[in-house]
Amino acid sequence: MLVQFYNVSKVYSNGVKALDDISLKIDKGEFIFLMGASGAGKSTLVKLLFREELPTRGQIFLASRSVVRMKRAEVPKLRRNVGIVFQDFKLLENKTVSENVAFAMEVVGANTRDIKQRVPEVIKMVSLQGKEDSFPGELSGGEQQRVGIARALVNRPVLLIADEPTGNLDFETSTGIMELLYDINRKGTTVIMATHARELVKVAHKRIITLEKGKIASDNADGESIA
Amino acid sequence: MRAGSIFYFFREAFKSLSRNKLLSFATISTISVCILIIGIAVLITLNTGNFITQLESDVEIVAYMDKDLTSESVTDIGEQIKEIQGVKAINFVPRDDALKKLQKNIGGKEYDLKATLGKNPLPDTYEIKASNPHDVASIAGEVGKISGVYKVNYGKGFVEKLFNATRWIRIISLVFIALLVLGAIFLIATTIRLAIFARRKEIYLMKLIGSTDWFIRWPFIIEGILLGVLGAVVSIAILLAAYSSLLNNIETMSFLPLITSSSILRNFYLSLLAAGGVLGVLGTFISINRFLDV
Repeated sequence: MLVQFYNVSKVYSNGVKALDDISLKIDKGEFIFLMGASGAGKSTLVKLLFREELPTRGQIFLASRSVVRMKRAEVPKLRRNVGIVFQDFKLLENKTVSENVAFAMEVVGANTRDIKQRVPEVIKMVSLQGKEDSFPGELSGGEQQRVGIARALVNRPVLLIADEPTGNLDFETSTGIMELLYDINRKGTTVIMATHARELVKVAHKRIITLEKGKIASDNADGESIA
Repeated sequence: MRAGSIFYFFREAFKSLSRNKLLSFATISTISVCILIIGIAVLITLNTGNFITQLESDVEIVAYMDKDLTSESVTDIGEQIKEIQGVKAINFVPRDDALKKLQKNIGGKEYDLKATLGKNPLPDTYEIKASNPHDVASIAGEVGKISGVYKVNYGKGFVEKLFNATRWIRIISLVFIALLVLGAIFLIATTIRLAIFARRKEIYLMKLIGSTDWFIRWPFIIEGILLGVLGAVVSIAILLAAYSSLLNNIETMSFLPLITSSSILRNFYLSLLAAGGVLGVLGTFISINRFLDV
């Protein structure tokens, strides 16, 4: 079991109840779509996984370690096991493609030799060969997201979290990004993708967890599917 | 910490300095103005302290001997005075010398003081210096107890007032400097916060990728030291030029005993340099923590 949520609730300091008594389990190697309207709690659930937020109640385990009880000093270690892909890419505009990817290794203190070997590997994995020295501003949206995915993968995370990764992309580009994510999943990385792109989800035949007002409205883990 | 990381910290610090030229300039200016003001305040305090110490060390005790003592017992009293704790030096003034001095000061060539008075009315005296001028009252008391000492004088009343005043001057100037330093820390922290704010997205990203707080802090702290030291160098250059020209122009006014000791001044300037570095680090440390809370 890679991820476990036990009766998790999250109420923000302004009184907004984002998650209400969520329990769920995610196995190693799964590909999961997290669906729901804006404000249903998708982003909150995702943020709990890498401890950008703490739950108000309940327990969360990642690879059998409590994310909630973890000391502040242990959080970096947790995050190195989780790759994050953002809707708005969050690339550093003044760094090239290579530098953006290498950045993720530098800031966790990887040595130069490993960085030089690993960065071209991931750039190849996301099919961006030839764009290594381009700056994000010179790339299309789809290419920028591929850089974002390469950066998330470079430290070999066990879990890849993608929060609306296709939210800023057109359908065709999105399909390409989805193919890349499926490919990553096939190679063994667990993927959780929050999205409201129904048309991408429908054709995927993957597990779909739908949130509604902070509760799990449906989960097709047992073969049930959404309408 | 690995050598590679240290290299990375320095590289990032220098990159950030050259990338944010305007903010670096603003920070250096802020720091150098703060240090300049603090430096002037410290310099004034040092000089005032110097002046005060000089005033205080001018305080001395004068012990008048009974007039009918033999010269042996006068010498003996001198030995006893030397043994009193806190006495730094004593100076014996024989009555004849005292009269000559008096003659010189108030008399004229036209009349002989001794002849006028018929005999020397002055007693033998000891002038006593205390190691710590604040002890004069108690030393004077001790001296007064020695038999054969006719009278002890140390400017009672005036000395207490002087010491009271100098104590307050010292306290007030220390409080003033402490307030200046506090103000400088907040001003510098605010300026550095602007520089860090410009890179908050990068810091957020680093945190989410799994960077430790110290890994993120180090380049900023190195940058803070560099900015602080650079700011201090600017203000030291200004102070150095201003103070030496002041010394050159004021030489004739000997009543103002300015500090000229090169070792004191060198320590002062080195302290300012260190203060620049410390202010830069403190400012960075105060500013960066709120951005690390992700």
